[in-house]
Amino acid sequence: MTKIIVNGREVEADPQKPLIAACHNHGEHVPHYCYHPGLSAVGSCRICQVEVKQGEMPARVVAACRTPVAEGMVVNTDSEGAHGSRRECLEFLLKNHPLDCPICDKAGECSLQDYSFQEAQAEGRSSEPRRKLEKRKDLGDVILLDQERCILCSRCVRFMEEVPKSPQLCIGGRGSHSVVETWQDTPLSGNYQGNLADVCPVGALTLKDFRFQARVWNLTRVPSTCSECSRGCSISVEVLRNGEVKRMRPRPNEDVNSYWMCDHGRFSEDELNRSDRMEPAALRDDAGQLTAADPVDALRVVRNLLSVQSQALFLASPYLTVEEGEALSKLARSCGTQAAFFSPEPNDLRDDVLHTGDPCPNQRGLQEAGLTPMGSEEWAAASSSADCVLLLGERLLDMLGDEALEALPPTQRLVVMECRASDHAAVDVAMGIPNRVERSGTWVNVDGTAGAIRAARSAPQGVRALVELLADLTTTSGQPEEALSS
Amino acid sequence: MTSHETYLLNRSKLADSHTLEVARADGAYGALRKVFETSMSPEDVVEEVKKSGLRGRGGAGFPTGLKWSFMPNHESDTRNRYMAVNADESEPGTCKDRVLLREDPHCLIEGCLIAAFAMRLDAVYVYVRGEYRLPYDRMQAALDEARAAGIIGDDVLGSGFSCEIHMHKGAGAYICGEETGLMESLEGKRGHPRPKPPFPAGFGLWGQPTTVNNVESIFNVPFILDRGADWFRTLGTESSPGNFLCGISGHVERPGVYEVPLGISARAIVEDLAGGIWKGRALKAWFPGGSSTGVLPADTLDTPMDHDSVKAAGSMFGTGAMIILDETASVVRSALVLARFYEHESCGQCSQCREGTEWLEQITDRMLSGQGKAGDVELLADLSNGMTPGKTICALSDAAAIPMLAALKHFRGEFEACIPTTAEAPV
Repeated sequence: MTKIIVNGREVEADPQKPLIAACHNHGEHVPHYCYHPGLSAVGSCRICQVEVKQGEMPARVVAACRTPVAEGMVVNTDSEGAHGSRRECLEFLLKNHPLDCPICDKAGECSLQDYSFQEAQAEGRSSEPRRKLEKRKDLGDVILLDQERCILCSRCVRFMEEVPKSPQLCIGGRGSHSVVETWQDTPLSGNYQGNLADVCPVGALTLKDFRFQARVWNLTRVPSTCSECSRGCSISVEVLRNGEVKRMRPRPNEDVNSYWMCDHGRFSEDELNRSDRMEPAALRDDAGQLTAADPVDALRVVRNLLSVQSQALFLASPYLTVEEGEALSKLARSCGTQAAFFSPEPNDLRDDVLHTGDPCPNQRGLQEAGLTPMGSEEWAAASSSADCVLLLGERLLDMLGDEALEALPPTQRLVVMECRASDHAAVDVAMGIPNRVERSGTWVNVDGTAGAIRAARSAPQGVRALVELLADLTTTSGQPEEALSS
Repeated sequence: MTSHETYLLNRSKLADSHTLEVARADGAYGALRKVFETSMSPEDVVEEVKKSGLRGRGGAGFPTGLKWSFMPNHESDTRNRYMAVNADESEPGTCKDRVLLREDPHCLIEGCLIAAFAMRLDAVYVYVRGEYRLPYDRMQAALDEARAAGIIGDDVLGSGFSCEIHMHKGAGAYICGEETGLMESLEGKRGHPRPKPPFPAGFGLWGQPTTVNNVESIFNVPFILDRGADWFRTLGTESSPGNFLCGISGHVERPGVYEVPLGISARAIVEDLAGGIWKGRALKAWFPGGSSTGVLPADTLDTPMDHDSVKAAGSMFGTGAMIILDETASVVRSALVLARFYEHESCGQCSQCREGTEWLEQITDRMLSGQGKAGDVELLADLSNGMTPGKTICALSDAAAIPMLAALKHFRGEFEACIPTTAEAPV
């Protein structure tokens, strides 16, 4: 480690990283556009100017993203010279910027806005016509490019080159005619395009999915973990006040996902916002209809089933948290059996970047919690011989498919605790549970790293957490109902 | 004053000077042979060039020998080592390397081989400006002749030393004359200058140790080795020894490329060699060393043409390419011409340069078309100061801002005259 002095404070800096990283690591923010900690540094936007004094040489203003740290270096991020240079730089960057902030999706989280507010003069001095470029350039299914807003920091170009290693973007033209583009307007492809909207420091690259959908200051950001594969990328779930999940974005995590996430995970919010949720409780009535019931009654029915039936099969969703897995394990043991979780086939999304191809976030954590993995064939065999089947956890019905329920013997009793509604004829007891943005817990990723999920909104009215339902069943299961009431 | 010792252009005056036969008869490759025959070590050669005080002729005036000595030690660093000869001569006003490539390519090859021996290079790349068709063809033909004669390639002149020289044709971008832009271009990429550090001596072409030298700098090397550093120091000044090629253009009677010793007064070049200001007019302003060096007023014409003296006069020696403006010329108009050039040639990486070069051009253009506004002159100065010094990856931004600032400093009145007074302003 190298010792340098930043704003009067001696700090330790990693000699492998540029000066700007040392400043940021020690809480001294230096404005930056082209610099991104997850990408190579090109030093072209020139906004990250700080004053540096080394030895006897007079202090000079340098670009912090391309300046190596040196022992004893004295850095002032707040000097008049540094602010002056940044102000000049901003004036140049704003000269052709359309200033269409009122309708820009980036407004509120835009570095150009923020640094202009921090550093720049209030009045523009240009009376020249602003550059007219393409405002709605379609870059494929995910991204829309506004070339007028672009400040040509080239983060997007470097991201495509360096992270998915799929160089599809380039800077075309030269000098003041430079624009970001793809070769002959070829649409972008790949599973990592959404990151382009995150790396873009301004509103040039925006998600089609998020375009004109929300003002970012109305979003509540909750740190969580992605559910769509066993990488378990750290993410931020962003919800509107009405609870609608509007956006999911990666959160920096050196150990897991660096600064990125895949599009498959990013755009999985539709499933979270679906309105066909399972009732807090429903029971099959005498007429054979699944009818809403009091959850207390529903739990009593399940309890009775467990005490009466000798052969119960507990199958969990691989989306269960470690905590839910442990609660289930305990319940199964009290019934003299071992719980399993459904382990689907790998999908074809596996790549060398993040996606593991395992579509579930917590197979490892559930195994560690004492659950055994169960594939489709094992499930078919086990379910046909059980008296009673309990399917527990979100997305399990979709993973098994309707045919799997139809194949169940008619005499068998079926209890389902799920997020999405089901009126399948085989279901005897249905209880709604919170989905992954309505509960908190832990998932363990493919490498054994724990990732917390956190409730970003409350569960639907009356819906109780699965851990609570399981705990209620555990304390009383194995004993006949009569014994309890007497 | 016009009778001074010359060496750079002597061979050029011979018929077919570009051929191996004529060049050899005139002593070409004698210095290289001398290096081998006198058993000089590579370090001895570097030392001799250092001792000569030769300063780079590409614009910055950095001591050539010192630059060579920055190459890492060949024992501790066994990577391949390269030199790129910068023949991408694109600075407005500068036209000296063209003459050397066209008329005496064998001297350049000899210089390259001596440099290659001194720095233990594996290969030399000559990056020639795309528009220089005849110079390129002459250079290529000379290489072919030299290769056939066993002068380049394996075992140069039976010395056991081997070096290859490759040609590369630029595609007409000014920025590829910037040394790191040149390297990017040679690697087949866009000519985007690289931030420094790392410097080329440590991380150059394909990440290997590399030196980039100007054609005229390398051209001086055979003479230094042949006649000695002490001889070289008898020419020019103490801090800027040797002769240089002054390309003089603009409003003079005889524009052209003249060989003169460093330290000669600008007036001697204009009046004695170039025949004075044309049409009997008076001088208004002059650029000492290409368009990127600040313009100077007429009363500075006695300035000696060497690095230190021109700097003291408030400008830069640059490439020694003088551009002369007579009394009828508009400094604002010439500022626009230059602003337009730099706007066209900015690579666009750095914010200040990409936006600033365009903005300077727009304001100057507007002022000349009668649309000047109060505050424009101050804005031109402010913007130029935002572009220099050293605020960007390479010096193109400085090159655009410096002539503007110099024009504003010495000829502010001409700019102010472009702003209509309130009474005249259109309603």
